[in-house]
Amino acid sequence: MSRDVLVTGFGVRTAFGAGAGALRDGVFDGRPAFAPITRFDTRPYRTAIAATGGDGSSLREVLAETATAAVDMAGLPKDAPVAVLVGTAGDFTGLTRFWRAAASDGADGTAGADYPGGVAETVPAWQAAALADELGLHGPRLAFTTACVASATAIVHACQLISTGRVDAAVCAGAYLVEEENLAKFGSGFALSHDGMVRPFCADRSGLLLGDGAAAIVLESADSARRRGARALGALTGWGVSGDAYHVARPHPQAMGMVRAAGQALRRAGDPRIDYVNAHGTATKSNDPAETLGLRELFGEGAGSVPISSTKSTTGHMLEAAGVVELVITLLALRDGVVPPTAGFTERDPACDLDYVPNRPRKSDLQRALCVNAAFGGANTALVLERT
Amino acid sequence: MIAATADASAPLVSGFIESTFSPLVYEAVRQCLAESPGAAAWDGARTALVLASTMGDATTLDLGSRLLVAGEVNNALLFMQSTANAILGRISIDFSITGPIVALSMVGDLAADLLATAEALLADGEVGRVVLVGVELAGTERTTAAHRELGTGPPTADLAVAIVLDRNDPMPVLQPAVNTPSILPTAHGSLRGLAEVAARIRGAAT
Repeated sequence: MSRDVLVTGFGVRTAFGAGAGALRDGVFDGRPAFAPITRFDTRPYRTAIAATGGDGSSLREVLAETATAAVDMAGLPKDAPVAVLVGTAGDFTGLTRFWRAAASDGADGTAGADYPGGVAETVPAWQAAALADELGLHGPRLAFTTACVASATAIVHACQLISTGRVDAAVCAGAYLVEEENLAKFGSGFALSHDGMVRPFCADRSGLLLGDGAAAIVLESADSARRRGARALGALTGWGVSGDAYHVARPHPQAMGMVRAAGQALRRAGDPRIDYVNAHGTATKSNDPAETLGLRELFGEGAGSVPISSTKSTTGHMLEAAGVVELVITLLALRDGVVPPTAGFTERDPACDLDYVPNRPRKSDLQRALCVNAAFGGANTALVLERT
Repeated sequence: MIAATADASAPLVSGFIESTFSPLVYEAVRQCLAESPGAAAWDGARTALVLASTMGDATTLDLGSRLLVAGEVNNALLFMQSTANAILGRISIDFSITGPIVALSMVGDLAADLLATAEALLADGEVGRVVLVGVELAGTERTTAAHRELGTGPPTADLAVAIVLDRNDPMPVLQPAVNTPSILPTAHGSLRGLAEVAARIRGAAT
């Protein structure tokens, strides 16, 4: 049995603020959100720039905010048997706070004894369970910790659960808020941009910048949406997941894993024409040419005519949240008929020779889009989203 | 169906030096694959790798955080090692597995959710075999505090349990008490259900 999977609600927050309007003003206008980080002391780190916003809310709070918005938009009833699937690594701010408290306790073997509580928020599983409790939903509750494909993998899992009749509906969410642990580690790995901008596919790109992001979508079977009278905002018609089996840290140079994931997604969707690709586009030296080759392999001779953009050029890399936030951006692109641009675009890398929609949004009648994401360890995801 | 467990005697895995987490995962999976008839002829593209752990590699994650707090932030290797994707990526390379890579975290016993995930993957049709691995470490001060808040308990020693499920295998049945969390460290902690299933599989195989 295979059932259609519809999107019936969403909520989103990025450095631009909360809701679709903020995304339209920022992402779709091609306006990068990068600015000096003020929420902690950045002096120990190589980069002091990221896309941050908001009022100092915690990971739990932004997950609750966006998921509540999604559930309200979908009109999902409380106490429903709905899966809650969250892409998160846990609250890393709490991780740092715990060890700072432990260090201040001294070296007496009672590290963390005076910690004020809330350490469970550092555990990914807790975030999923707390969100399900907050929403009053009682289906399966899982945290996906697959790094930069975490929330996209959660969405694929929801599609599998719904299409095979295991659940009628799922809330898929993801959240990442810029913090010290990842700023330090990405910095020490020389992955962060040197010039305060993220320039995917450009010759002078120098890496990614981190960004705040949280989003949630409600997915449900067409039967369930029809029964409830819920409005379909879009349909997920294809999904795929794969591993590169190539290198622990670097992507496959021809993005063969991504091609396999996208190939699965397109086959499932019936090999339709794709009108827009929301690319992974991290602006790292290794990702962008590989992704370009992969998209060439996927689309063949028609690759040059498919608009492709990396919205990380405006939002920054939202790590575990990237997949779900970028799916929401793609949903808006389909509904508004506007392709979001790759911002900060200068001169393209000769190895990146596709249409990256440089700097300005483009009006277009979009019926169908492909979202691809990739992660450390060679994990890849692909989603085909259709306008309804 | 094949199952294996790995404990602190698991050999080191190159590149994963700070914690037993990744060596445990690798060894449990390696044993399973070594014992699987015809594993060398598997279609790697139709094989999924699914890892579950409530706390993940807390040893490495917390080491990175302690170093950061102490002002020593220049170790990108800790980022690689603390992410479950890293060891799953290593396994995918060594055993030519190019199907889905999934890492999960859940509260309570891992078995029911892990088996349900495998069932959904198999039903979806893209994979014919799922390599499941549950892993939990005895933990750090932080995970001890987190377990206290969660009302759960860690295993008494670092442990991984792997199970290989084929499309044609009957789904293992869990004992009813499996989801009852314990606030005390127990031999298997959140891996109790998986360990029971693994023991039954291994008993049936001998």
